[in-house]
Amino acid sequence: MMQVHTSTIGDATVLSCDGRLTMVAAPTLRSAIDDAVSDGRVRLVVDLAGTSFVDSSGLGALVAGLKRTRQAGGDLRIASAQEQVRMVLNLTNLDRILEPFDSVGDAVHGW
Amino acid sequence: MDGEYRVETLAVPETLNLLHDLLDRVREDHPDVERTDLMLFETAVIEITNNVVEHGPAGTIHYSFTLDVEHDRLLGHLCDGGPPLEKPLRTMPHTGSENGRGLALARIALDDLAYQRVDEHNEWTMVRRRR
Repeated sequence: MMQVHTSTIGDATVLSCDGRLTMVAAPTLRSAIDDAVSDGRVRLVVDLAGTSFVDSSGLGALVAGLKRTRQAGGDLRIASAQEQVRMVLNLTNLDRILEPFDSVGDAVHGW
Repeated sequence: MDGEYRVETLAVPETLNLLHDLLDRVREDHPDVERTDLMLFETAVIEITNNVVEHGPAGTIHYSFTLDVEHDRLLGHLCDGGPPLEKPLRTMPHTGSENGRGLALARIALDDLAYQRVDEHNEWTMVRRRR
């Protein structure tokens, strides 16, 4: 079962996903994003270094998070996406709105 | 068809790991198959099975999946006892959409995806040519 660990770097909140981000796990990420935004933390980085696989449910959670944070005046960025995740982002055209940053450090740069 | 690799189980989210495990076994047994081919095949299999899990009455649908590694292609068959597919295989939705990507992604990940309703079952045939 995927775990989401929350940490902070400056103004940014980092949600680290460990495990497959699939139909089973997507609600966990959605909840973590909702909790963060409800707490006023609207600059989110989803760290995917530990995520070997994402499906369309996981992509849906990321898109929902992007919309939620932007509506609240923030943003959601993704970092350290692995090979399958990058491939799926590309095939679904979601890399146009969820540009993968190479590292969490790169993602929070400029925030 | 017997299939070189086979899973037969209940269509609930918790059993999707059996498919990931099956693909892991294929990776170990066939190091000659390109990583990308298996990665995209796995993506398609999971999306199609997600569809079965999501659209059947919860916890009552069974399915079987078989995979054969052939010299020039990966061939998968999935047979499920769920309701017929209501919508045709769709194109990729707009980037702002939060759902509706599953079967569109499966189509792109494969070279051929065929669906047919046979008696009271759905039959999915998945082909990815080996690069």
